[in-house]
Amino acid sequence: MRIRPRPADVNPKLLTPAYGSTVKRAPARAPLVLPQGASEISGPRFDSTVLYPSHDDLTRQCEGEPLGERIIVTGRVLDENGDALPNTLVELWQCNAAGRYHHSKDQHEAPLDPNFKGGGRVITDAQGRYRFTTIKPGAYPWRNHTNAWRPAHLHFSVFGTSVLQRLVTQMYFQGDPLLAYDPIFNSVPEKARERLVSRFDLEITKPEFALGYRFDIVLRGPGATPAN
Amino acid sequence: MSSRLTPSQTIGPFFHEGMKWRGGGTLFTAGTPGRVVRIAGLVTDGDGQPVPDALLEFWQADASGNFGAPTEGACAGFGRVMTDDRGRYEIETRVPGAVPGADLKKQAPHIVVLVLARGLLHQLLTRVYFEGEEANAGDAVLASCGARSETLLAKRTPGADDAYVWDLSLQGPKETVFFEC
Repeated sequence: MRIRPRPADVNPKLLTPAYGSTVKRAPARAPLVLPQGASEISGPRFDSTVLYPSHDDLTRQCEGEPLGERIIVTGRVLDENGDALPNTLVELWQCNAAGRYHHSKDQHEAPLDPNFKGGGRVITDAQGRYRFTTIKPGAYPWRNHTNAWRPAHLHFSVFGTSVLQRLVTQMYFQGDPLLAYDPIFNSVPEKARERLVSRFDLEITKPEFALGYRFDIVLRGPGATPAN
Repeated sequence: MSSRLTPSQTIGPFFHEGMKWRGGGTLFTAGTPGRVVRIAGLVTDGDGQPVPDALLEFWQADASGNFGAPTEGACAGFGRVMTDDRGRYEIETRVPGAVPGADLKKQAPHIVVLVLARGLLHQLLTRVYFEGEEANAGDAVLASCGARSETLLAKRTPGADDAYVWDLSLQGPKETVFFEC
């Protein structure tokens, strides 16, 4: 079964001048249609051997515990038909609670946390569920425009079952005042933006331990190609 | 039915901790059958400037035309590389066997490539083919690109049968062909 075409009102436009880096990097020509053959629908797939110690708990990857507000982020990876995507690789990365990435090129003058590297990786279970324990990332300034600040966000990378389901995105937090000013968040068509905002969930929240957030991830799925 | 698809966002510049990959640009383990080849190249933007913070993912069949399954810490035929400070990348792989296209006809050997970078709000999908392969002439996808099919051909390095060069141009007169995804 073929993967459905992606509707036009989901992804950002590649050329989004408010996000300055798109101006010289967005391809100018329209993408060509690629009929779906074996290469497009065949994988890759991974198993738990791509994981590493404390792969799902970013607070336990170093000697001590990182500073910051401990959080649990969980959800399901589904396709657009509502079917769970089990055994799929989900990768996560983020800055620390002060808004600094564990990365040699991050020049933001906020402290590094010796106990936080900021990368995680899980394989979804039979119901397509994933779960990470981490700390809430800080906001940080960037040089896109005067007084530009990224809202707190987690980066997600998800594979699904084929390259046509591949998704790299960012998860945000409800009520963040910086969302209104962020050209990356606002590059998404308006009605789809809220899908990138996780929901605080008291059921996920662990008493005396961590706040819980739910973030479901919906990938393209198989279906009849609509006539057009 | 209204779509619930999760929108894409840029990978940003600081993905290395989350996307580190043990096999890197080595798509198959040593001893895997097939002709061993290296592909290296440069990623540039619309000004011809190097893109030092791109992530490239490669996915292909093995030399017999079969797609890999999960193996120890990897998946045969999958590779992931980050461009260096000069915008360069390199992979080592096998020339893939022929696999069927959407019309079930065999296609010329090719590798699927995903491109992600700061400034790209969603991934780009493309393919790399091998200069000099006879089957290129009959490949429907290459034909669909017309004169721009050149941008999908990895060029043989003179004097080195196993070395190819494939540069990617995100924008501009030599813009690489990208496909809907």
